[in-house]
Amino acid sequence: MKVEPDQKVRINVKVNGVLHEAEVEPRKLLVDFLRDDLGLTGTKVGCDTTTCGACTILLDGRSVKSCTLLAVQAHGREITTIEGLSSDSKLSPVQEAFKDNFALQCGFCTAGMIVQATFLLSQKKDMTEEEIRDSIHGNICRCTGYQNIVNAIMDASRRMKA
Amino acid sequence: MSYSGKSVKRLYDDKFVTGRSTYVDDLKINALYAAFVRSNYAHAVIKRVHKEDALKMSGVVTVYTGEELNRVIKEGIGPWTTYIDPRPWKIPKWRFAQGEVKYAGEPVAVVLATDKYRARDAAEAITVDYEPVDAVVSMEEAKKDKVLVHKELGTNYGYKNDFVAGNPEKALESADHRKKVEIGNRRLIPSPMEPRGIVASYDGSNLSVWYSTQIPHFARAEFSRIFGIPQSRIRVVMPDVGGGFGSKAHIIPEELAVIASSMMLGKPVRWTATRTEEMMATNSRHNVFRGEIGFNNDGTLVAINGTLEVELGAYLTYTEGIQPTIIPLMIPGPYRVRDLKIESRAIYTNTIPITMYRGASRPEATFIIERLMSTVADELKLDDVTVRERNLVREDQMPYTNPFGLKYDTGDYLTLLREGVKILEYNSMKEWARKEREKGKRVGVGLAYYLEICGFGPWEYAETRVTEDGGVIVAIGGTPHGQGTETAIAQLVADELQVPIERVKVIWGDSDAIPAGTGTYGSRTVSIAGSAAVTASRQVLEKMRRVAARAMKADVEEIEYKNGEFVHKREGKKMRWEEVSRLGYSGKEPGLSASVTLEGDVTFPYGIHMAIVEVDEYGMARVKEYRAYDDIGRVINPALAEGQIHGGGTQAVGQALYELAVINENGQLAVTYADYYVPTAVESPKFKSYFAEKYHPSPYLTKTKGVGEAALIVGPAVIVRALEDATGGKFDFTPVIPEEILKKMK
Repeated sequence: MKVEPDQKVRINVKVNGVLHEAEVEPRKLLVDFLRDDLGLTGTKVGCDTTTCGACTILLDGRSVKSCTLLAVQAHGREITTIEGLSSDSKLSPVQEAFKDNFALQCGFCTAGMIVQATFLLSQKKDMTEEEIRDSIHGNICRCTGYQNIVNAIMDASRRMKA
Repeated sequence: MSYSGKSVKRLYDDKFVTGRSTYVDDLKINALYAAFVRSNYAHAVIKRVHKEDALKMSGVVTVYTGEELNRVIKEGIGPWTTYIDPRPWKIPKWRFAQGEVKYAGEPVAVVLATDKYRARDAAEAITVDYEPVDAVVSMEEAKKDKVLVHKELGTNYGYKNDFVAGNPEKALESADHRKKVEIGNRRLIPSPMEPRGIVASYDGSNLSVWYSTQIPHFARAEFSRIFGIPQSRIRVVMPDVGGGFGSKAHIIPEELAVIASSMMLGKPVRWTATRTEEMMATNSRHNVFRGEIGFNNDGTLVAINGTLEVELGAYLTYTEGIQPTIIPLMIPGPYRVRDLKIESRAIYTNTIPITMYRGASRPEATFIIERLMSTVADELKLDDVTVRERNLVREDQMPYTNPFGLKYDTGDYLTLLREGVKILEYNSMKEWARKEREKGKRVGVGLAYYLEICGFGPWEYAETRVTEDGGVIVAIGGTPHGQGTETAIAQLVADELQVPIERVKVIWGDSDAIPAGTGTYGSRTVSIAGSAAVTASRQVLEKMRRVAARAMKADVEEIEYKNGEFVHKREGKKMRWEEVSRLGYSGKEPGLSASVTLEGDVTFPYGIHMAIVEVDEYGMARVKEYRAYDDIGRVINPALAEGQIHGGGTQAVGQALYELAVINENGQLAVTYADYYVPTAVESPKFKSYFAEKYHPSPYLTKTKGVGEAALIVGPAVIVRALEDATGGKFDFTPVIPEEILKKMK
């Protein structure tokens, strides 16, 4: 597809179960589409370079960093953001576990961290502490020192098996 | 019913775990976006800013430079005069760059456009003609005063003051041993996960500012002074703030430009820093101590004599003036040394301005004194515990006035040391590491001790309101931004009023809703805002007793309050909390609220921390475990307090081993997380945190001291000591990067 300068592109994206049709500039980042166009500000921008993970979302069930994808790349695909993890105001096991384990302080990395943990637990239920640490090394937290986050993910794993 | 002392869950976590939090960039406000053109030069004359191409671009509203902005920005950014006496300082005027830039990265123009993509495009389309002039980017060069950052000051020295106690020259002469030392911290970047951001809206009469800040009320006062608007017509709101660590307690020209643009255009304007901009907005640390110490054969340190140099960067920020004035006072730490001379110097360079960072002065002082203790131990071949035992202030000396006049309030430093060595299993871990090394592993164990000054008055505001239905709103001048101290304060108030904690809501961070405040920094919030909240709650309860007394036709002395009931002691009549609350708003009573500004002073927590460090064959060091034993006074919420040890400890890992802001003539080379190494879950240690059960209370009503900074205050010294044990090298500067470790590995 050839796109002229300033020309917009039509995309269809399902976000948290809702289909959105939108016209976007080809260069628009997915995270800006989610935050600025759809108003889903739960997903945060922490670094712009795919390093910090605050913008982590699920794209067709896989965790991706939405600051390093274009909105047009989400065309025809399904996205889950932090807002889509709890239904009927009931928290997911990961969300509950983060609360119960003091796994957040300032909260800015929390959405990305919870989405990443949700993805991990969808892939593998039993992870060692080392595996969990390794699997969240793309999500930076500056407040908690990670121990309570690791504990929360292990706790969530237990809750999901129960 | 008692909440205090328990790990009550944080009250307001739901919004964070569900994505409903609101940081400044999340606010839905129809505003123009600001983007900045920045200097490529460390020092240059601005000849001309070419705006033409940018102004032709779609969506671009206007471009401002210092010429326009500084008509509105009347006064410059100045030091935090609550804590810094400006009189001995040489202070350059710091507004938006006009005519000259003083560091690479300094903003020279702001673009206002209808969306952020267009604003950034336009900023790139602006070219600036510069005439580079000599720059001085290293503190060593700046000290020569050959190239001046600010010609009008006549020197690069912003501050010179000698802190002298006793007779250090004489003490050095009579000491058994003398030793030259050089100790310091290199420049780092605080890096809260939420970059700075601001939205300003001037509606013709009133200025509203939504601001990622730790100090909304001080910001209001500064904006008032800088823009010449009375404080009553400025509202500063602190939405959710994604971490600060001291770095969101200063004001930068970008923020002033956003406010000025809003005033000139009559439209709301917003700016959120990119990570690169955030990394250039705040740098911290960089200090060097060079001097000589004297010590005796038994390990007692008897003299410290040297020069402390603190880098300022290109301008004096709101907070950096604290460092050269507090570091010297805390260099004696918890030890009895009484003969000291610290020549304290602060030096301007053509670099990003430096600000305080978690611990602010106490990490610097603690690193110096703990390195000195370890130096004495190494020179005399004594162990670290013995040397500290021989130097610590004794319990019978408490309250102890240190050689520079600081009065240490309460504590038993020696007992804590001995208990800590046992609880943290120092000796057995040390022995374990020795055996591991015999097997060929590079693993080491280290400890350090700290005494912290925190709390910092001069006062804090709190108001307790009881609503018509018996709910409780606590409005505090403290400004929690991740610490969870709002929960601790709700615990204190619920206990004081003997009501369920579910009834209590804590609010903060809006200068229209909270009339006054100082903020959250210096590990002070539970102590000073908490004590103010308890005091206000007592006063409200007294008002309620009076209301109940009138209703029951009794004297107030006859009314006793207990567990939600006001009891007429003589007649046995009772009124429920809810009934009295409703009567408080009957048209006959003045309502049920009480506010206080509570005076406060400093207090001194202390502790011993230990780390286990492992180094691989390439010189990469990892902190495997971090253990802490602290006397922080009474602990209101142990889980929250532990969280502070974990977080501070992880920042200590970064400062000790990984985090370095490299600067050269071309500017700062660390501008993303790819070239600045914040610890991830992989580099972070396992934590064990213990608090002294037999604590020593502060003079505050809450009996608390403070814990927000402890682990970053002592952690770098702890980790470096463990690294020395692991490698056999000696390291006196943070961060100790792999290249340096590799050179000294045995």
